[in-house]
Amino acid sequence: MLKTPGAKAGRGVAWVLLVVAVVVTAFPFYWMVRTSLTPSADLFSDAGSLWPHHPTLINFARVLGLTSAQRDRAAGGSGAHINFLWYTLNSIIYSGVIAIAQTFFCAMAGYAFARLRFPGRDALFGVFVAALMVPPIFTLLPNFALVKDLSLLNTFAGLVAPSVLMTPFAVFFLRQFFLSIPRDVEEAAILDGANRWSQFWRIVIPMSRGPLITIGLTTTVWAWKDFLWPLLVGRAENTRVLTVALGIFLQQSPNTQPDWTGLMAGSTLSVLPVLILLIFLGKRLVQSLNFTGIK
Amino acid sequence: MTAVIGRTPGSAAKTGRGDPPAKARAGMRDDRRWAPLFIAPALIGFAIFYVYPTVRGVWFSLTDYSLLGAPDYTGASNYRQLAHDPQFWNSLKVTAYYVVVNIVSQTVIALGLAALMHRLTRSVVLRATLLVPWLVPNVTVGLLWAWLLDANLGFVNHLLHSLGLGGLSFYSPTWAMPSVALVNTWAYTGYTALLFYAGMLQIPQHLYESAAVDGAGEVRMFRRITLPLLRPILALVLVVSLIGSFQIFDTVAVIYPHSPIPATRVIYYYIYQQAFSYFHMGYASAIAMVLVVVLGLLTFVQLRLLRASRSDLA
Amino acid sequence: MRHHGRLAAGALLAVALAGSMTACGNDSGDAGGKVTLNYWLWDDNQTASYQECADAFHTANPNITVKITQTAWAQYWQNLTTQIASGDAPDVWTDHVSYYPQFVTSNQILDIQPYVQRDKVDLSQFQAGLADLFVKDGKRYGLPKDWDTMALVYNTTLLSAQGVTAADLTDLTWNPTDGGTLQQVIAKATVDANGHNGLDPAFDKNHVKVYGFLPEFADGSQGQNGWGDLAESAGFTFLDKNPWGTHYKYDDPKLADTINWYKQLIAKGYSPKFDKQSTLGRPAVMDAGQGAITFAGSWEINSYLSATAKQKYAFAPLPTGPTGRKTSINGLSDAIYAGTKHKEQAWDWVKFLGSAACQDLVAKNAVVFPAIAEATDKALAAHQAKGQDVQVFTDEAKASGGTFFLPVTDHGNEISQTVQDAIQSIVLGQSDAASGLKKANNTVNAMFQ
Repeated sequence: MLKTPGAKAGRGVAWVLLVVAVVVTAFPFYWMVRTSLTPSADLFSDAGSLWPHHPTLINFARVLGLTSAQRDRAAGGSGAHINFLWYTLNSIIYSGVIAIAQTFFCAMAGYAFARLRFPGRDALFGVFVAALMVPPIFTLLPNFALVKDLSLLNTFAGLVAPSVLMTPFAVFFLRQFFLSIPRDVEEAAILDGANRWSQFWRIVIPMSRGPLITIGLTTTVWAWKDFLWPLLVGRAENTRVLTVALGIFLQQSPNTQPDWTGLMAGSTLSVLPVLILLIFLGKRLVQSLNFTGIK
Repeated sequence: MTAVIGRTPGSAAKTGRGDPPAKARAGMRDDRRWAPLFIAPALIGFAIFYVYPTVRGVWFSLTDYSLLGAPDYTGASNYRQLAHDPQFWNSLKVTAYYVVVNIVSQTVIALGLAALMHRLTRSVVLRATLLVPWLVPNVTVGLLWAWLLDANLGFVNHLLHSLGLGGLSFYSPTWAMPSVALVNTWAYTGYTALLFYAGMLQIPQHLYESAAVDGAGEVRMFRRITLPLLRPILALVLVVSLIGSFQIFDTVAVIYPHSPIPATRVIYYYIYQQAFSYFHMGYASAIAMVLVVVLGLLTFVQLRLLRASRSDLA
Repeated sequence: MRHHGRLAAGALLAVALAGSMTACGNDSGDAGGKVTLNYWLWDDNQTASYQECADAFHTANPNITVKITQTAWAQYWQNLTTQIASGDAPDVWTDHVSYYPQFVTSNQILDIQPYVQRDKVDLSQFQAGLADLFVKDGKRYGLPKDWDTMALVYNTTLLSAQGVTAADLTDLTWNPTDGGTLQQVIAKATVDANGHNGLDPAFDKNHVKVYGFLPEFADGSQGQNGWGDLAESAGFTFLDKNPWGTHYKYDDPKLADTINWYKQLIAKGYSPKFDKQSTLGRPAVMDAGQGAITFAGSWEINSYLSATAKQKYAFAPLPTGPTGRKTSINGLSDAIYAGTKHKEQAWDWVKFLGSAACQDLVAKNAVVFPAIAEATDKALAAHQAKGQDVQVFTDEAKASGGTFFLPVTDHGNEISQTVQDAIQSIVLGQSDAASGLKKANNTVNAMFQ
């Protein structure tokens, strides 16, 4: 490419813009960590400084349930017992179970819609696709009533029930992918006497690792961020996930001043697993977006 | 790899139809036995958690139902009430306003970012960094910005003031909704930019090279090459993020310690409030029903536009 | 890799199942006759005192443990209604006159009249009128736990810097037209960045350092922390009859005038703009030295007079309005969830909360004024022992004709939202007071048809 001075200046400006984007993206996280390391008594005096003057880990100790109610109150909390480690574990179970089970069951269904021949297949698939248009809130209200009727409120079973077996999107997405796999391979397997299940399990699944991971990761992220459903169905301590815990933590703040330092410590803990995921799976995750975007 | 995935469905479908008839018959016998096994889990989930609640939701919307007693059939009375409920219309209006501000700002900034990355760098670290806000729960995002924009103690608020830029506030009727919308723009722009970026990677590099030889500048190349060839993906991303945008709830639920002010009481929040604060499950279902219709219409219109933009390219 | 995945899936499913199983076993069970009661309150300042009560109760009833959960006022009712919708409400919760009727209508509160009669609870020990606030049609939905009145709280340092003394504040007057002497004091107490106060012609209302008055607009349909008390002192009443009225009177011009008075305070720069609202409550803003005067409820005494308060405060009586000095007097109660699995134990706890044994403990900590008259005296003594002058709250409570009860009607939650929205939009200048309140009033009254 030709490098004129103008183009060079242009590239310089472009780089500056990218750096700005990175700063705008990252700064709020820095500020979150910075606040979580500040004693709550310093909030007013320290509001504008980039570094806490009296750094402390008390806020983390508080949200991990390692202090007494008295110390918690003294440090700006409400004295309620909280344990973000437990909620993180719940979040991991919630998103893990949903992601793994849903991907698996949707792969089965997607395969059936792509490959198997049975009466009513296309009509059924059409109904599944139509369900893509229904906003979640519409089914959320009756699903809440259903889970309540089944006495599954505040259980993991009730929490994962609506999404553990399928979502129309995952079925749709995986079916589209399976359609794109050449049939020759499977046909060779049929000649070898493999049945449908072993074709699916031995051949199609291993060939589809990319899209399966994509759907799995997307579902994990979605479940990790989920708030309204677990708020309604799993508020109790034993099933409380991170997002709900943060919401409840906010609600249980002292009346006159939200426990901002504690909240930021809790927020930091809710971001940490995501960062770990990104460090180990960053490349995969970034690449997986290419699939979902194109569908 | 990605490019292959993106393009193959069409071609694969063609190969798929070319089954030799004998084998198809053989498969047919097998599949009737196997299909139930493959379909069963998804079908059960679909029937219990999609079909049944949809039917039940429609039924609730025709009843007076408090969640605490049994539903009581009242015909279309919820819908009649809805038509005259200023709060409902207000929540629909502010949600639409949110969607417009959020989608426009997010799409424009994401396009710009994607174009910059596309022409400058392939850095995975950069892309991963831009993705972080999307990976963080909306609840955390809402808390973070409620804190950064706090009128007394918020750092960004201090910064804006010292630059002479007042404005962002969650309590001013003019600025509340744009503030909320920009918070979510912050959270979703990186993600959207990566989707666009992925689309740009599929544009053949030689187009840019020959344009450069012709002396075209970057801006012109963006307008003449990138934008037109990105249109199908642009449209698709718009459809998906528009529907998603209507579902804003978490952010306002944590930003406002009391309930959101009317300027930000979005439709999801209003439904939630009716159902769980006022025990009007029937009425809440009717509002949700209207939302289904609105979103259905929007999707329909958008898909039409999408199809138009596709044929445009072909 | 694949096997790992399967193993992980299996393990996670197993954990999930185990989790759901313990969930069932965990349900405040009766194992060995031991019962855990869930108890909710909203004031974090009171948690410690009621924890003492809970401990004392546990000592007396080793089989019953009380687990206290505090939820800030702002979300208390929404949380409670959501829990009730889930059929999973706390066994006992702190209740408020304006919010309990909707739970009565939906049959969610246990009628304790039979228990009161059976155990011969002496209702005459409570401050007059408190017990009856929770009675409807001969059924009783709570036992009184405390009461509160309102006063002005001011930053003594800031006011004396402007030459305002405690004596100037004991007999303030107020009217919705010019704000009486209260407005004079507020103007004097407001100071801009150059040190000019609100009465100085050079006062710069765009750069205010200390606001003379901090208003509360997130105050539901009662305006307990300001507009409600002032409007009553101008002759406004909420309802056709209280309790259990069915016609609100928010369209009364006297209320509109009161809200307009607040608006002009903001316009003159004496009060902060509503859209500059922070997540911090008024006490926190007062503590930051950014406000000179505001309303305080007797439940807030400790946050202002405690050793940890960052400023020096004192209390003054509410101003005398056109029809006299009026303060809301409000009583809280403890209610039992109709769906509780432990009715007897819950009743034992409520009875204990309403007894001298618990209320004396609360009195000793000088946190709130307990509902039992004698315990109130003890609380007053405890305050005096700490050198805290809180006489104005009890004096106001005793003044004849000087108090009013907050409205007790159905639909409390919805009415609160409707009226609060209307008042906020008036303050923001989106609608004018008269028509905004009239519209809200129509909406509210339509709920009773």
